[in-house]
Amino acid sequence: MKDVNLDEFHWLLEIVQSMDVGIIVIDRDYRVEVWNGFIEHHSGHKPSEVTGQSLFALFPEIDRDWFVRKVESVALLGIPAFTIWEQRPYLLRFNGYQPLTGREPYMYQNTTFLPLTDSHGVVAHIALIIYDVTRVAVNSQQLRQANGELQRLSRTDRLTGLLNRGYWEECLAIEFSRFQRYQHPVTLIIFDIDHFKRINDTHGHQAGDAVIRQVAEITRQQVRGTDVCGRYGGEEFVVLLPDTPADGALLLAERLRRSVEQCVVEHGGVEIRFTISLGVAALTLDCGSHAALIEQADSALYRSKEGGRNRCTLHDNSLPKH
Amino acid sequence: MDELAVLVCDDSLMARKQLIRAFPEGWPISLRQASNGLECLKTLRAEPADLLFLDLTMPEMDGYQVLEALHRLNIDVPTIVVSGDVQDAALDRVMALGALDFLHKPVDPEELCASLRRHGFYLKPQASVLTPRLDGGPVSLRDAFRELTNVAMGRAGALLGRVLGVFVELPVPNVNMLEAGELHMALADARNGQQVTAICQGYIGEGIAGEALLLFHDSDLNDITGLLGREVSSDEERLEVLLDLASILIGACLKGLFEQWSGQLAIGHPVLLGQGEAIEELIRDSVRWKRTLAVEISYSLEGLRTHFDLLLLFTEDSLPRLAEKISYLMGDEA
Repeated sequence: MKDVNLDEFHWLLEIVQSMDVGIIVIDRDYRVEVWNGFIEHHSGHKPSEVTGQSLFALFPEIDRDWFVRKVESVALLGIPAFTIWEQRPYLLRFNGYQPLTGREPYMYQNTTFLPLTDSHGVVAHIALIIYDVTRVAVNSQQLRQANGELQRLSRTDRLTGLLNRGYWEECLAIEFSRFQRYQHPVTLIIFDIDHFKRINDTHGHQAGDAVIRQVAEITRQQVRGTDVCGRYGGEEFVVLLPDTPADGALLLAERLRRSVEQCVVEHGGVEIRFTISLGVAALTLDCGSHAALIEQADSALYRSKEGGRNRCTLHDNSLPKH
Repeated sequence: MDELAVLVCDDSLMARKQLIRAFPEGWPISLRQASNGLECLKTLRAEPADLLFLDLTMPEMDGYQVLEALHRLNIDVPTIVVSGDVQDAALDRVMALGALDFLHKPVDPEELCASLRRHGFYLKPQASVLTPRLDGGPVSLRDAFRELTNVAMGRAGALLGRVLGVFVELPVPNVNMLEAGELHMALADARNGQQVTAICQGYIGEGIAGEALLLFHDSDLNDITGLLGREVSSDEERLEVLLDLASILIGACLKGLFEQWSGQLAIGHPVLLGQGEAIEELIRDSVRWKRTLAVEISYSLEGLRTHFDLLLLFTEDSLPRLAEKISYLMGDEA
């Protein structure tokens, strides 16, 4: 080798040694041949101390079966393989090293498994290239969290924690189109608090809010995980029941009615008792839209009110439409 | 010695040119061409040939079907298959269908010569004879690129077949100049209204850059993990299977492509797209180019419904360099 090439070779080595990317070269028996400064700094071992040692002994956190499968396929096919932090947070567990700005207990890593061919074209070594992507990972997780929180906020009613009207109607629309396809029974319960204005006028708005919260809480306790509860208006609530025929929905409606009737809300030393009126409607193929189902349940609710409140009414599909 | 009647059948003008250019010197032949299987049969029925060079992956009627038809129609013509499909099973199948030999694309002149000698079609150059060369006009960038892709995807398909232990059916790749608006449509098309997961990898080599997008239909995932014989229970494990397949398909295809012009390339880390969201929506806002080269390859696994759609999208800036590489590959003819 000429001198000038030797110079270049030294530069190259120095660059590889000091770059902020980890490089480990292993042979086909998973023994370390060499690693660069990045790995030396984070592992605390000089390359001269580890040459010839098993990678698995040096880094017991590596899942051996997985790693062997990955490396063997890289060697067999002669094509690089990758890991990304979303799927595997790290290959080598390096503890966080930035006490001021670091928030993570360990370094997130993206890695490349690069096949190295010898002069005969045989893959005799594998280079593991390790990128520190902690900052990217943290930012992206924070963003996802924030988006998730925003989505949650945009879907829930602040006072009750139930779904708000907009999002609940989206759910109903989806259930409606699913019904068109599969015709699984779907029912809807709509109810409101009887004489709510009187509660507000007598005990104040905060008492009214407490009553609304209590009704929401009772609803949450009574329904199944698959039922979709929402606050439809001021004192009006809705429960969408997928895979539930009308008789099942009526049972739930009656249970709700009784639970509310029996509960007492205490506000400012005063015990407040109240009742709800409910309307139930089952989705049929005659329903032209999801709004039609709401109308049917609403008209059943109207009849509960007319019939003296604190009762459930099932919408009768044989009745002419309003 | 009489002239040997040779018929070359391939849908790509570039492939025919490459093959004919590899013909040995001083070979006394008369040359005919066909650009798909149907045309090949028609030509042979009109006038028999002494030797047929046959591609496998063709529109209208592929090479396997031609071999079957020749047998059925009692047309006896010695056939050398020339294909980018490097799966062992492809070799076994064409030999079982009566082919004489199987050469891999791009054809190596020495290998071709050895095969011709072995089967007695060529002994030594005849001084007074000029091997006929093709004059089919210039090859379009699209045709040339389709042929390069054909060879590259054959290599990727063979690796995939080896890993999954199945025969991979190779399609005719779709190579198109795509307007930005059409990308959206192409993606929606590939998605076919189903849930997909997509893995994206950027690549760059000698100023030729782009992104590869591999689409998996979520409903196919069980088939794939079943073939791999892997226990897959968590999302992370499922993702890992997809990443492994993506590095094989994308890595091998790009390597096969760049190797043909002896180019080096670097492939970036995979990026996961979609996961429930419509990918075309994700991409819609990010398109800054007007018109670029897009390659679509749809691999199918024999006997399964499973298929993978691979899309290679080159940057607009890469096109002049690509054209340069291709014209270099084609020598003076392009």
